[in-house]
Amino acid sequence: MTNDLPLHAQERLKGLRSSAHSTGVFTSDFSVNEFLLVRKAGFEPIGLCVGSCVYHVGVQYSSWSQNQEMDVLSKAMYHARELAMTRMRAEASAMGADGIVGVKLTIRRLEWDEHLLEFIAIGTGVVHGEGSTGFRAHDGGPFTSDLSGQDFWSLLHSGYRPVEMVMGSCVYHVAHRGALAGFGTVGRNVELENFTAALYEAREIAVERMQFEAAAAKAEGVVGVDIHEGSYGWQTHVIEFFAIGTAVLPLDQEIAPEKISDPIMVLSVND
Amino acid sequence: MSIFDRFKGTTREQKAAAEESAHRQMDILMSLRGGRIPTGALERLQEAAAGTKPWMATLTPAELRIARSKRLKPIAAISATCWLHYGYSWTRGHAEGWGQALDRLAQEAKACGANAVLDVKMRTIRLPLGESMDFTLIGTAVKIDGLPPSSDPIIATVPALEFVKLLEADVVPVGIAIGAHYEWMRDWSGYAANPSLWFNTEARQLSDLWEQVRRTAHQDLRQNARNQGNGVLAHVNFSQMFEVEREVGERKIKEYLARHIVVATIVDARRGTPLPHEIKMVVDMRDPTPLTGTPPHHQAYATNEESGAI
Repeated sequence: MTNDLPLHAQERLKGLRSSAHSTGVFTSDFSVNEFLLVRKAGFEPIGLCVGSCVYHVGVQYSSWSQNQEMDVLSKAMYHARELAMTRMRAEASAMGADGIVGVKLTIRRLEWDEHLLEFIAIGTGVVHGEGSTGFRAHDGGPFTSDLSGQDFWSLLHSGYRPVEMVMGSCVYHVAHRGALAGFGTVGRNVELENFTAALYEAREIAVERMQFEAAAAKAEGVVGVDIHEGSYGWQTHVIEFFAIGTAVLPLDQEIAPEKISDPIMVLSVND
Repeated sequence: MSIFDRFKGTTREQKAAAEESAHRQMDILMSLRGGRIPTGALERLQEAAAGTKPWMATLTPAELRIARSKRLKPIAAISATCWLHYGYSWTRGHAEGWGQALDRLAQEAKACGANAVLDVKMRTIRLPLGESMDFTLIGTAVKIDGLPPSSDPIIATVPALEFVKLLEADVVPVGIAIGAHYEWMRDWSGYAANPSLWFNTEARQLSDLWEQVRRTAHQDLRQNARNQGNGVLAHVNFSQMFEVEREVGERKIKEYLARHIVVATIVDARRGTPLPHEIKMVVDMRDPTPLTGTPPHHQAYATNEESGAI
C-alpha cells in the first residue's frame, strides 16, 4: 500500500469541492466492493435501471388427481417477468449502457389483492471505460446479468463475458393421492413415485425453457444456474419451478487456462 | 408550574441532579432550535479536538490500523438525531428527517476540526409512537495528519476499511443522498387492479404508477446528489403500495398509494483511476467461513429484499 492518497481525494478532504461535474451523476446499488471491482474490470456504472410490472394472474382449475402444468400460471409468471426485464433493459438502452450488472428480480404479492403479483427488476447499467461496444448482446443492446460485481470481475477473468440473463418457469400441479392410497403403505417406506415424477417433469420443463433462451441468445453456456421452488399464494399442491442463470460467451480472445492463476488457499483464524 | 417543578426529588442530591438534568434538557432544546450544538456536546468535542480529552472512535483495532496507515486520526465519536412527525407526508418526511440529522452531524464534525466523518451509520429506534420516527446518525470524526481542518467535512457512510479502499481508487465518499417520491392514483374505472377476472393480464395502470414513482425517486436522488458528487451507491431501496377505498360522493372509489425511498452514499469519483492493488482470489479452508457475510451497516429500513427471492 502506498501511503499517499490521490491528489483529488486530498483536496476534497481539505474541504475543496471540484467544480461542476461534466459527466452528470451516476446512480447504482453497488456495494463499495462491487463498485471497486466493476471499475477494476474496466467498466463504469452510469445509472440504476428499473422495470416493474403489476400483473393480474388469471384463474385456472387443476384436476385434483392429475400431475399437470398449470399453463395459465406458467404463462403469467413468464410474461410478467419478461415485461419487467424488458422495461429495465429499455431504460438501460436509453442511457446508452453496454450492459446491466447485478440484476435483482423480485416478486411480491400485494396483500390487498390475491390475484396481483408485482415483479421488479433492478440493476446497474454500466459502460465500458474505453468505449468498446464488444460487450453488448447479439442484438446490439445491453447485456443483462444477475452477477454481482464480484462475480462479474471473476467471470471476465475466467475468459467469458455475460450475454443475457436467462430464465425458465413452470408452474405445476402435483396430483393428490387417492383417499385410500395410504392404507396399502401403512408401516412401510415407499417412494411416492407419482410425486417424484411430478417434480422431475416440472423441473425439466423449467430448465429446458431456460436452455432454449440461452440458445436464442447465441450463448455458449450458462453460469450461476439456480433452480428455485416457490409458491405465491396458490393451492397447496401448486409449485413454481424457476430456473435462472447468466448466459455467457468467450471473450474475443479466450484466456488460456494456464494463464488463469490459482487462488490462494487461506485458513482464516478469526471467529 | 415551571418546567423544573416536575423534576423535584426528595433529597438534596436528587434535587440537584434533577435540576441539572432540567437545565441540560433546556439547553439541548434551545441549542437545537437555534441551530447550534448543545453546550455539553460542544465542550466535549472541543476538548477532544484540542487533545485535552482522549479521542473516541467507533473503529475496531483492525480498522484503526488501516486508518492509521493513511494518516487518519480519530477525534471523536459523533452523533445527531432528529425525531420527526410526518405531518403531511411519510415519504417526504424521511428525506427531511435525514436531512436535518445530516446538518447536525456536519456541525459536530466542523466543531471538532475534522476532515471527514467515517463509519456513519443510519439508526432508528423501533418505537411505534404515532406517525413519527427518529433519524439518528452515528459516526467517527477523523482528521488527516498534515491537512488543515475542513470547512466542509465529508460524511462517509462506509466503514474505515472501505473508506480507505475508495480513497486509494480516487473515489471520495462525500455524503448521503435521499430520493423519495410518492403518488396517489384514483381509480375511476374500478378496473386498475383487476382488468380481467379470468385471464392473465398486466395491471397496466398500477405498473405505470410504479414506474413513475420509482423513476421520479431516482431522479430526486440524482438531483439531491448533484451538488456534492458525481455518483451514488444506493444501499437502500424501499417501496410500498397500498389500496384504500374512499367514498367520493355516492361512489366508493379505490385509491392507490405507491411510495419509494432510496438512500445512497454520494461519491466523488475521478474516472479511470482503478484500485491500485492486484486482486487475488482466496479460498478459505475454514468451514463455515467467516469471510462471507457481513452484517448490514445500516438498520434504519427493512429492505424489500426480504419479501422473497425470484
